[in-house]
Amino acid sequence: MTRFILQRLAETLLVLLLMSFVIYGLIGLMPGDPIDLMLTADPKLTTADVARLKALQGLDQPLVDRYVHWLSAALQGDFGYSRSQSLPVWQVVVPRLWNTILLMGLSLVIALAIAIPAGVQAAARPGSLTDNLINLSAFAGMSVPLFWLAILMLMLFSVHLRVLPASGTFSVGADGIADRARHLIMPVLSLTLVTVGAHLRYVRSAMTEALRQDFIRTAQAKGVSRGRLLYGHALRNAMIPFVTVLALEFGTLFSGALIVEQIFAYLGMGKTIYDAVAGNDYNLAMVSLLLSTAVVLLSNLAADLAYAWLDPRITYR
Amino acid sequence: MVRTLLRLLIGLGIVLGGAGLPAAARDQLIIGSTQFPSTLHPSIDSMLAKSYVLGFTQRPFTTYDQDWNLVCLLCTELPTIENGKAKIEDLPPGFKRDAGTTFCKSADPTLATKGMAVTYTIQPNATWGDGTPITTEDVMFTYEVGKNEKSGITNSELYRRIIKIDVLDKKTFTIHSDRVDFGYNGINDFLLLPAHLERAALGDDPAQYRNRTLYSTDPTNPGLWFGPYRVASIEPGSQIVLEENPTWWGEKPQIKRIIIKTIENTSALEANLLSGSIDYIAGESGLSIDEAIAFEQRHKDAYDVLYKPVLFFEHITPNHDNPALGDKRVRQALLYALDREVLTQQLFGGHQPVADTDVSPLDWIHTDDVKKYRYDPAQAAALLDAAGWTLGGDGLRHDAGGRPLAFELMTTAGERTRELVEQVLQSQWKAIGIDVRIKNEPARVLFSETISKRKFTGLTLFAWLTSPENVPHTTLHSTMVPTEANGWAGQNYADYRSPEMDDLMDCIEIELDRGKREQMWHKLQAAYAEDLPDLPLYFRAQAFIMPKWLRGVRPTGHQYQSTLWAEQWRIQE
Amino acid sequence: MTTPRADAETLPAAGLRQPLGAPRLRRTVRQRLLSHPLAVASAALLLALALLVLAVPLIGMALGVDSETPNLLTRMQAPSSAHWLGTDELGRDLLMRLLEGGRVSLGIGLIIAVAAAVIGTLIGLTAGYFGGRTDALLMRLTDGIIALPRLPLLIVLAALDVTKLGLPEQWAHSPLLGFWRIAVIITLVGWTTVARLVRGATLSLREREFVRAALALGARPARIMFVHILPNLAGPIIVATTLSVGNIILAESVLSFLGFGIQPPMASWGNMLTNAQEMMWSAPMLAVWPGVLIFATVISCNFLGDGLQDALDPRA
Repeated sequence: MTRFILQRLAETLLVLLLMSFVIYGLIGLMPGDPIDLMLTADPKLTTADVARLKALQGLDQPLVDRYVHWLSAALQGDFGYSRSQSLPVWQVVVPRLWNTILLMGLSLVIALAIAIPAGVQAAARPGSLTDNLINLSAFAGMSVPLFWLAILMLMLFSVHLRVLPASGTFSVGADGIADRARHLIMPVLSLTLVTVGAHLRYVRSAMTEALRQDFIRTAQAKGVSRGRLLYGHALRNAMIPFVTVLALEFGTLFSGALIVEQIFAYLGMGKTIYDAVAGNDYNLAMVSLLLSTAVVLLSNLAADLAYAWLDPRITYR
Repeated sequence: MVRTLLRLLIGLGIVLGGAGLPAAARDQLIIGSTQFPSTLHPSIDSMLAKSYVLGFTQRPFTTYDQDWNLVCLLCTELPTIENGKAKIEDLPPGFKRDAGTTFCKSADPTLATKGMAVTYTIQPNATWGDGTPITTEDVMFTYEVGKNEKSGITNSELYRRIIKIDVLDKKTFTIHSDRVDFGYNGINDFLLLPAHLERAALGDDPAQYRNRTLYSTDPTNPGLWFGPYRVASIEPGSQIVLEENPTWWGEKPQIKRIIIKTIENTSALEANLLSGSIDYIAGESGLSIDEAIAFEQRHKDAYDVLYKPVLFFEHITPNHDNPALGDKRVRQALLYALDREVLTQQLFGGHQPVADTDVSPLDWIHTDDVKKYRYDPAQAAALLDAAGWTLGGDGLRHDAGGRPLAFELMTTAGERTRELVEQVLQSQWKAIGIDVRIKNEPARVLFSETISKRKFTGLTLFAWLTSPENVPHTTLHSTMVPTEANGWAGQNYADYRSPEMDDLMDCIEIELDRGKREQMWHKLQAAYAEDLPDLPLYFRAQAFIMPKWLRGVRPTGHQYQSTLWAEQWRIQE
Repeated sequence: MTTPRADAETLPAAGLRQPLGAPRLRRTVRQRLLSHPLAVASAALLLALALLVLAVPLIGMALGVDSETPNLLTRMQAPSSAHWLGTDELGRDLLMRLLEGGRVSLGIGLIIAVAAAVIGTLIGLTAGYFGGRTDALLMRLTDGIIALPRLPLLIVLAALDVTKLGLPEQWAHSPLLGFWRIAVIITLVGWTTVARLVRGATLSLREREFVRAALALGARPARIMFVHILPNLAGPIIVATTLSVGNIILAESVLSFLGFGIQPPMASWGNMLTNAQEMMWSAPMLAVWPGVLIFATVISCNFLGDGLQDALDPRA
């Protein structure tokens, strides 16, 4: 088992390395640079200045050289400065990473808290009104465009009802748990609403599959109560495939967080990535993209380990 | 179960209750802006959002005020030839001018070998926020940083023109510049840095200065700020909090605290304003003009909306290498065929005045005595016929060889207002037989490749920021056409060459007499309107959305922003 | 190493235990599909939408409206007899713009879904059939792409300068570039679901008797993959493809909303939402309609896919 874990960690590092090259290349293939945009914003700027500033950023060097330079610094722990914030990259990324983890974590917990019981109930009564209603809601959630939903919520709660702050991560001078919570309500709510559907469907599907198994019929014949049957026997088996699906959902959750962060101006990783890529901020973009890839890869590993733990038939060699 | 429910409700109540606290007497102003400065260093990275914030916390030596007059802020008296503080002098021996610089033909040729010495005195009570007085040591340090190629200073043209600076005493210094020009006493972009704090950051390695400067590593250090406010706290990417600066030597501000929140999404910005989390949307980096107009229609009882035309000159640059566009008559026809009045009326509520040349109506040099291009499709058609483009059976114009009159029209993708305008332009030009194809590109592609390397074949629609009494040397002078040979230097993207215009510009630059200069400016505008190197559209406007209780905010209309007079802002409930 | 997981893609392992091509099966499937009212309704809605958007030029002529020319004097009007849904921010008829946007959004959805399905099937078949190193390599590639955060990657890909990749300038400047660019990049990340599904199914089908029989008869791998194995996978592939159309339409609309997708003046439901967002207070219907249409289309695809899934599942 330990060998398996170490092997997977090694593979993760390899993927990250490969990804770093690909991403650096992709960003390098993007045209132009924000420095060029400064020309129209400053009447005194000349093209000679633009060339000089680009040289200072190392943009006149060939891409491969820049990548090698970045890599060798990174391997020594120096990830450089963020050009759009004039701060060391880690200083920018760490608080935002926590913000995103908070957002994603809360969404996930609430989504699961809704999806699991609802999925179980739907699977227990296939074809009934409950099942159809739950299915309908799940599909509705999955089909609604997230950015549209976010904007509608913004209008309803911030403008018409005036109960929630329209944006930001926290208020100035009043940073506390209650304040943070208020700023999180709409982002978490919108993200949850669009992800709960998919979770619900998976749970229902897995539960249906589990409920078909012979051992359920046996347990029923033995007189096991309905509750214990559903939650004690079927759900435990259904969780196995569901857990692996959950790991795959992290990628989607992350992308959803990006949109939500943009609209609500919530300072998280998604927004950081978007701004860094748009602003040609290589250092920041590299670190944030690699970090998110790492998070997803590690959650895959966690899911595989959970799978092995949950299902005694599986062993890793 | 009931208890959990109760706890939940109480928790929710606390959380939502935060929204309903009664407001105390107002002593702070929360401003919403759409951009967060990438750095607070005055001279690194040109960003209007940054100069907005710095207007609260620093003062330049000289600047243009709301009436577009040059005034002294950090200096005591504006140096002029009349009051003796400025002199024309010989350049040091061995001084060489850049190759390719032209000189006014009708002026005294000896002026080409002269420079100027301009003397300034720093305000006697000017002090950094930590109590250290502002002295000429800071001036010399700033000059040192500005001169250094590696320090990352964006606008180094200013420093390149300085030959040397003489220190006369702790508060007085003389700048020796390398040329005679009418703007000799304006050093608006010479923004002081605190030598006592920044020298250590500069250290031996100027290439790292950008990362080591205290403006990035320790922005709340009071010693960095000397305006009416100083930076009290900063949340990178989201807000900046400014508090009163006790060492400020000028008029004491009434508002104790200013918070600048960054909200990039304009709908969210509006929502924040309406919900009360921000009080005022800064015109300098706020809503677009049509959003502001729509906002005003809905909320004029609760908010005052002030519109101020600014020096963003929205225009169309044609590529004169295109045989059709190189013909003046075609350019004139293009402009006659546009109903710019209706356009600005319908789209911008009339707040963005039609431009006749690249000189703003608010500028003192502006004249109305130029050729005007009122909407006249008949005249446009006549001009095109005269130029050899005749209307064919398909509704489009062709020349004698059968080639159609067709261009590409490009602008920045994703900017709704521009896309709107483009589509109107396209249809109005179609009406006189010109086939215009719209092709937009993201701003970074457009500016870094297509425009700057003159890869566009037809027309490009964009804006540039100018300044009061700005000689359009880089955009209209024939030596400023970017080519591969000269490393793409210059901004004369149109490839407009006019000896008359060149000479006018050269002569204006060195003419110190205001009266004579005014004459030349009028001639330049007349030539511009006749030749149409670019097709002028309008000057953009900014919308300042203010609560009824905020007074004293005076938009300037140019890049030196209203915050430079923040101590005059008042809260009057 | 890891054992094949029973995950979402292989759960609907339907249709694999059926014998090939029995006409009785097809009738049963159709019957079962028809007994799902929601699936039927969805199919009908999608068909109606498809017909409407295909007939856009005809509708334009019939209604007498021109959806291209901006008209400054009729901006953002309420619905009237001249403009059934009102006008947009440029004075163009909203109904026509929605239909044209639908043409783009639906067209892209379909093209990408089919392309991704084809690529995914090819990769999955190859991996599942040949097994061993090929399988490991292809599955690592698939996992790698799944592991990446999708939206940031799409953003980076959408912002690329294609001329730097060697594409000739003429193509780079054609108006359809935006359309094809999105199609290509979403396909590049969209084939993974089908690939995993097909690979899992191929792995198990590979061991079946009819495959062994074909091998014994001397059939080449290509023949076995395409003539014998593939038809059995038709069901799950169709289901997965149908379900993916919805996600693809959402992905395109997000990219267009963020400014990286279809560029105006070409309309797509996504970019109609970008523009309308700023007009939310003065003309909310400009934002509601495209969102409603996206929602309706995606939910129909999902219901249809779900119905197909149930219809093809022999154990229900």
